[in-house]
Amino acid sequence: METVINDYISRELVPDPALLPLSNETPLLETGILDSLGLLRLVVFLEERFAITMDDVDLMPENFVSVNAVCAYLRTREPGMEAAHG
Amino acid sequence: MAHLLQQLLTDAAARQPKRPAVASDGCLLTYEDLDRLSNKLARTLLRLGVAPGDRVGILTPKSAAAVIAVYGVLKAGACYVPLDPKAPAGRLSHIVQDSGAVVIVADEERSPLAASLSEAIPRPLGVLVVDSPDNAEVAAAAAGESGEPLAEERAIETDLAYILYTSGSTGVPKGVMISHRNSLTFVDWSAEAAGLGELDRVCSPAPLHFDLSVFDIFATCRAAACLSVLPDGATTFPVSIARWLAAERISVWYSVPSALVLLACYGGLQQVDLSALRTVIFAGEVFPPKHLARLMAELPDARYLNWYGPTETNVCTAFEVPAGWADSQPTPIGKACANTEVFAVTSEGQRASGPGEVGELYVRGPALMRGYWGQPAKTSEVLVRDPFRADSGELVYRTGDLVSLEPSGNYAFLGRGDSMVKVRGYRVELGEIEAALYRHPAIQDAVVLPVPDELLGSRLRAVVTPDGAGDLTREQVLEHCRQWLPSYMVPEVVEFREGLPRTSTGKVDRVGLAQERHDAEPVGEV
Repeated sequence: METVINDYISRELVPDPALLPLSNETPLLETGILDSLGLLRLVVFLEERFAITMDDVDLMPENFVSVNAVCAYLRTREPGMEAAHG
Repeated sequence: MAHLLQQLLTDAAARQPKRPAVASDGCLLTYEDLDRLSNKLARTLLRLGVAPGDRVGILTPKSAAAVIAVYGVLKAGACYVPLDPKAPAGRLSHIVQDSGAVVIVADEERSPLAASLSEAIPRPLGVLVVDSPDNAEVAAAAAGESGEPLAEERAIETDLAYILYTSGSTGVPKGVMISHRNSLTFVDWSAEAAGLGELDRVCSPAPLHFDLSVFDIFATCRAAACLSVLPDGATTFPVSIARWLAAERISVWYSVPSALVLLACYGGLQQVDLSALRTVIFAGEVFPPKHLARLMAELPDARYLNWYGPTETNVCTAFEVPAGWADSQPTPIGKACANTEVFAVTSEGQRASGPGEVGELYVRGPALMRGYWGQPAKTSEVLVRDPFRADSGELVYRTGDLVSLEPSGNYAFLGRGDSMVKVRGYRVELGEIEAALYRHPAIQDAVVLPVPDELLGSRLRAVVTPDGAGDLTREQVLEHCRQWLPSYMVPEVVEFREGLPRTSTGKVDRVGLAQERHDAEPVGEV
């Protein structure tokens, strides 16, 4: 799951190649990788890729500080998600 | 009545010296402060040698310092040219050279960039660093400048107040020249239309180079209300924006619809108290009706105003969305603003007069731009003799937007007649992106197509033919684009083809390409 999300962010959202390769702990907010538009695109990607619906209570900074934080959030949504979607 | 934009500030400072003028990042400037600090900045510019009519670049995000800089430049009799802090250096360098800016005002963080940009200026007068208002005070005080009003006005109302650069179809941005009179026509109307009063707290997330900022910088001042700057850290998460709006008790908001769509869908509006928010204004693109209905249901007590107008005309039509607006109806762009006339010209060259008639929207009035900076030929394509009053000598503006007249007398926006699209409210000329792609040595052919998107207006899809020699990657194409284009113009999707499909006349078959079923996010390949 970390790889899938890291790949997506690296490919679609990183504004400056100097920030690559992206570690799973790289701060996504302070670095400007996730701006309001990037957040929206990531949400659409997560909803489609993991067949979930995200609500406003899910769009909190703590769920998006890093790739690891996104994965931790996804595991709270559905513990079996990893096996199902790899 | 003010005939120069900076008189709005001197009038407000005389009437309401102690009222808050700008709240930004914990710093609060009163009207007295803003007036005094901008006087100092103006004197500093004059000492550097800035003369009436000179252009001065402003390279800062929206902040208290930026507002001081705007008024300081105007008081010096000069014209400000906003430089987008997020734009690539190549684009900024072009704007600095094209406008002939003599000084760049920058904040501390961007002063090295300002210094390197000023190398493109033939006779640079200097880079002026302002940061927090304290620094502005220090910078000017170090030179011993007084905060007293300048002895005389250095401009008349037909002088330029600012030049805003927008996307140009031939590959370079073009500068829209706006005079004090052009701007004040909008400012006077908009302050009345929004019912601004001195107790209002006004916020627009639009940066200085986007013409929505004219409202919060000048109309707010006309009413001696308070301009509140949305902090950078609050802009990513809709929930953070909603909480900030509640904490600051913002009463008037002005933005592109996409920012409001995010607030409606993800802002957690039920958890915050937005009872102070009485007027919500949007402009720049079509508000998807479903999301507008949701926002109006979440915040039923606010007024909703849809404003329309390209940068070249300021806002020229407006529509107040009535309560209970059905969620399937697109919002009309409405009727002409005060002191402005609009009309539609049909393809037969007749004036559209009956309901349902379709035509291109024309605008006349004192709000129209003076022209494109240094581009008389381009100017004369859009500022044309009034087709129905040719003898009057008056020039009117052709918007290129197709509209229809509704039975209610409101105009409805139908679309564009050319290759301009909107991305997050920004105007994007597809030709400018294509021109950037053609600058890559390994790209032989390129076409950029808009993919309609409900939230963003459009997403951008580039179809590229490599010249065959190397293996060009998507990353290389995007990196190249980022050197030339601001982020909202960088295509999201890049496709490689051996050749572009052509129509029988040899033109790139844009219609055929657009009709291909296209999956913007190839989910299965991840």
